[in-house]
Amino acid sequence: MFDFYLPIAEVSVNAPLLVGLGAAVGFISGLFGIGGGFLMTPVLVFLGIPAPVAVASMASHVAASSTSSVISYTRARAVDFRMGGVLAAGGAVGSVMGVEIFRWLRLLGQADLVVSLSYLIFLGVIGGLMLTESLGSILRARRGDPAPPRRDKRPPWLYGLPLKVRFPRSRLYISIIPPIALGVFVGVLSAIMGVGGGFVLVPAMVYLLRMPAGVVVGTSLFQIIITTTLTSVLQAGRNQTVDIVLATLLLVGGVLGAQLGAKASSRFRAEELRAVLALMVLAVGLRMGLGLFLTPDEPFVLMMGNGG
Amino acid sequence: MTDLPAPPAAVAPAAVSAALTTTSVRVTSGFRGARIVLYGAVFDPAQRPSDVVVIVRGPEQPVRIARKVQVANLLWLNSRPVVFRGAPGFYMTASTRPLDEIAGFAVLRRLGAGIDHLAIEAPAEQRIETRYGVKDMVVSRLGADYFDWRQAVVRLKEKAQLYASADRGVVFVDKGLFKSEIDLPTDAPIGRYEAQIILFQNGQPVSQRVRELTVEKVGAERALYLFAHRRPWSYGLASVAIALAAGWAASAAFRRA
Repeated sequence: MFDFYLPIAEVSVNAPLLVGLGAAVGFISGLFGIGGGFLMTPVLVFLGIPAPVAVASMASHVAASSTSSVISYTRARAVDFRMGGVLAAGGAVGSVMGVEIFRWLRLLGQADLVVSLSYLIFLGVIGGLMLTESLGSILRARRGDPAPPRRDKRPPWLYGLPLKVRFPRSRLYISIIPPIALGVFVGVLSAIMGVGGGFVLVPAMVYLLRMPAGVVVGTSLFQIIITTTLTSVLQAGRNQTVDIVLATLLLVGGVLGAQLGAKASSRFRAEELRAVLALMVLAVGLRMGLGLFLTPDEPFVLMMGNGG
Repeated sequence: MTDLPAPPAAVAPAAVSAALTTTSVRVTSGFRGARIVLYGAVFDPAQRPSDVVVIVRGPEQPVRIARKVQVANLLWLNSRPVVFRGAPGFYMTASTRPLDEIAGFAVLRRLGAGIDHLAIEAPAEQRIETRYGVKDMVVSRLGADYFDWRQAVVRLKEKAQLYASADRGVVFVDKGLFKSEIDLPTDAPIGRYEAQIILFQNGQPVSQRVRELTVEKVGAERALYLFAHRRPWSYGLASVAIALAAGWAASAAFRRA
């Protein structure tokens, strides 16, 4: 009854299910200030959408829900546009590289492996670190211990590099090389894993660039919009794998969910939110990586595209 | 040609005729597969025992397949993919009895009737060499595993309901009148299909007909598909514009609320 045939993915899907999924991921996205791609892409693949189409169409959903949240952050002056622009410049280079790398991996038949390994490594490491950190602060809060003194000393290499630029909103005067490198890295991940990259960007901005916590989420979302927009256009242009019907179904729910999530986020404590997010990140990473270690039921796999 | 009227003979040869209830399947946004009914008749004044075999083939689609191999007793990785050619994107046989009861191996192989007799090959893996003094032998680099690979192609296609065989899929509903059903799954490939209807008597094909069938996207599905493939860059920009506009609209709507 509500099944929709997707013109590019060439499969039939249940429309209310996808809108609901979009809303759920959008809610999480607004709640935590992340894109939510790391959750959405694996779920889509699990629902039977071919992986290249899921990765490419996801980018639109992330762009939509990030736009919806970033406007609220802009009003609160919580976006460092200059830093976001520098990160996005790197992100643009990274997306172009990532789309080409993904194309090449598909031809080699190793796209699945690289996608699973990236999920396992990045989500596993980041989820683990976040969980340790947030559980630590929750326990300290319970026991009433004082927070450990924040090491405000920034790593010296950040200052030794040339091409220094002032970022007034972030109160930083640093070389643009680290943010550009970070942008490139996130851009590549975005194209390969079908994620916005917020889960890498946010910790990197906090712990490496030492940006003030208030501008981190808004700036990360701003950079994600630019990178995913570009990735989307590139995937459509180079690989013809963007399914506009799929993307639209997801983002209808996504933008609403993102708004509700952003409203709900003020009701929870930051470290508890981080602990929950860390658990989700870890669970997805392990689930994606597990397939690499288990003996498969079916030793053969069919691949998309003929690769002539 | 079998379509010509039979010449007068001592015993008139048997002939088969058939028609499809639908000759064009339209893939729209509500497409959830299709069932096509095939009706046909056997004309045989001598009333010899007859068997009918229906073979439906979709457009050819090369198959890329990889095998999971364990590395260092730990990780399961994909092997180098192998490309099989000659594999139809959809293949179905229906017959009055199991195929091997209807005709012998050689006859079935020549007609390509039955999944076991499909001419699926991996040409990139083949090389020609002289073995045991025999010149021009075709040797596959996949070696003894070749049949595992070929079987895997068939097994995975069967699982996706793209390959099927129905041993009793052709039923005589009245004297000389038979019926068969063709089920196309949602992900049946787009393109021209061919239904071959073969009449067997005494283990030999005596008459055959070919009927064509097209599966095509229509309406919005077709327009979007063509847009995505003919003007991929504009398509990409359009999809991004929708995303950004939706994000902005939601934020504006919630601000007012």
